[in-house]
Amino acid sequence: MATLTELLDDLVADVDGVILFSPSGSYYERFEDADEDPVVVAPENAVEAETFVELPLEFENVRDRIRFGIEGAMEHDLFEEGDVVACAVSVFGGDTDSVVRVRVSESMRSGIYDLFANSRADPNVIRDVFEVAIELGKKGQKGKPVGALFVVGDAGKVMNKSRPLSYNPFEKSHVHVGDPIVNVMLKEFSRLDGAFVVSDSGKIVSAYRYLEPSAEGVDIPKGLGARHMAGGAITRDTNATAIVLSESDGLVRAFKGGKLILEIDPEDY
Amino acid sequence: MAQIEAYLDAVPARWWLALGILLLGVLLGYVVNVVNNRLLRRAGVPEAIEGTAFERMARDLGTSTVAILARLSMYFVVVLAILVALTIAEIRYTEVFWSQVVEFIPQVFIALLILIIGVVVGEKVELLVAERLRGVKLPEVGFIPALAKYSVFYVFVLIALSQVGVAILALVVLLGVYALGIVVLSAIAFGDMLSSGAAGVYLLLTQPYGIGDEVKMGQRRGVVQEIDVFVTHVESDGDEYIIPNNKVFQDGIVRIRR
Repeated sequence: MATLTELLDDLVADVDGVILFSPSGSYYERFEDADEDPVVVAPENAVEAETFVELPLEFENVRDRIRFGIEGAMEHDLFEEGDVVACAVSVFGGDTDSVVRVRVSESMRSGIYDLFANSRADPNVIRDVFEVAIELGKKGQKGKPVGALFVVGDAGKVMNKSRPLSYNPFEKSHVHVGDPIVNVMLKEFSRLDGAFVVSDSGKIVSAYRYLEPSAEGVDIPKGLGARHMAGGAITRDTNATAIVLSESDGLVRAFKGGKLILEIDPEDY
Repeated sequence: MAQIEAYLDAVPARWWLALGILLLGVLLGYVVNVVNNRLLRRAGVPEAIEGTAFERMARDLGTSTVAILARLSMYFVVVLAILVALTIAEIRYTEVFWSQVVEFIPQVFIALLILIIGVVVGEKVELLVAERLRGVKLPEVGFIPALAKYSVFYVFVLIALSQVGVAILALVVLLGVYALGIVVLSAIAFGDMLSSGAAGVYLLLTQPYGIGDEVKMGQRRGVVQEIDVFVTHVESDGDEYIIPNNKVFQDGIVRIRR
């Protein structure tokens, strides 16, 4: 057993900080006497920690979760480049079951935290749109896989850089993403071609939009289709965030500033 | 043996009846106690009033609000039974006194009930308001829940007092002044918000301009980013103007079509 403990000691030796991911109350209390407050990353601040980073989406991918936590902590000036951080995280659900040693570096900034916290739209609007896209990806429309493109935030500019393909079903309606009825509506309308435009506060401005951004210099992986290209390009031209559900591989991807930021599989949620 | 029979014969039949009614009353009172206890619990009263100071105080005294209320209804029935028994026993010399008491006692019970309800409701209101304001991280809002609580107390005390027939005209006038003060103050304070809200409802219903339209208002020109009940967000070149909706109505807005 001694070697096992040494192994763990090596992992946590000389760390500059600790990040706890969704700790339970009693787990957090054990850190009370520590010299430095641990950083808590969780959907809500249930343990009333002083240093807290809100986790908008319970990323199934642990790498994404840790990236998000570290980026959030860097944003709050809790860590800086070169710091070594121990992350206590749960890989298989339930209680904390693993410790990951990470060296903080600028190259870790993939923009996941930025995507939620510093977008034009409200963080919970982005989260709600993600949830809709994930739900849509899981169930599809009447059992068939569907694709969808949501452009969130900076709606005025997006509307000026797009044109209607047909009559807008959301004309003079005041529905917001996150309203319970909306998931059903969006699911029905997802068979329409074109993009959904969502405003900063989450109001669904339009469906059926044909986006007309200039696609020069958009850096998205080869092999993705026109929907992704349009979504990526509109985020370069405006301050919007695009959340795209792919019809062919069923993944949900988020674009910001013309770059692919996040890629998640709806089946994991 | 014969002596006891003689004593028993000396007691009038009415007294026996009165005794029976008294016993029946006590029994009925107990049943009412139990039934009320169950009903209140079934109606979810203990959960609804959990955390109020009255409930805590009752807990400290080894009882609970529900038990107190049920007990109160029991006493009411028992006292009523005693009065009926006394009337039937025809104890005449007390008649005048009792007739007044009979009228008065239900009022006292109702007043007591109202007071208890008032205390519980007031504290519940305080808790709810405090809960609602928790998101507002401002130490000064602490007095608003207390204000709400004492307003509720005041109204319930007034109702209880009027129930037992105390002259409360002056207190009612005070309440009126207080209510008027709140109405006038909020009319002044929220006047702009109300007119913005009214204008916003019109704008949302008819949508004379929508998100993405280019508009001009006075010197400001830009693209509409957001319309809600109170304000319209107009953005141009990174400047976001947040315009109250009543301003849109007073000054009008130019919609630029090209």
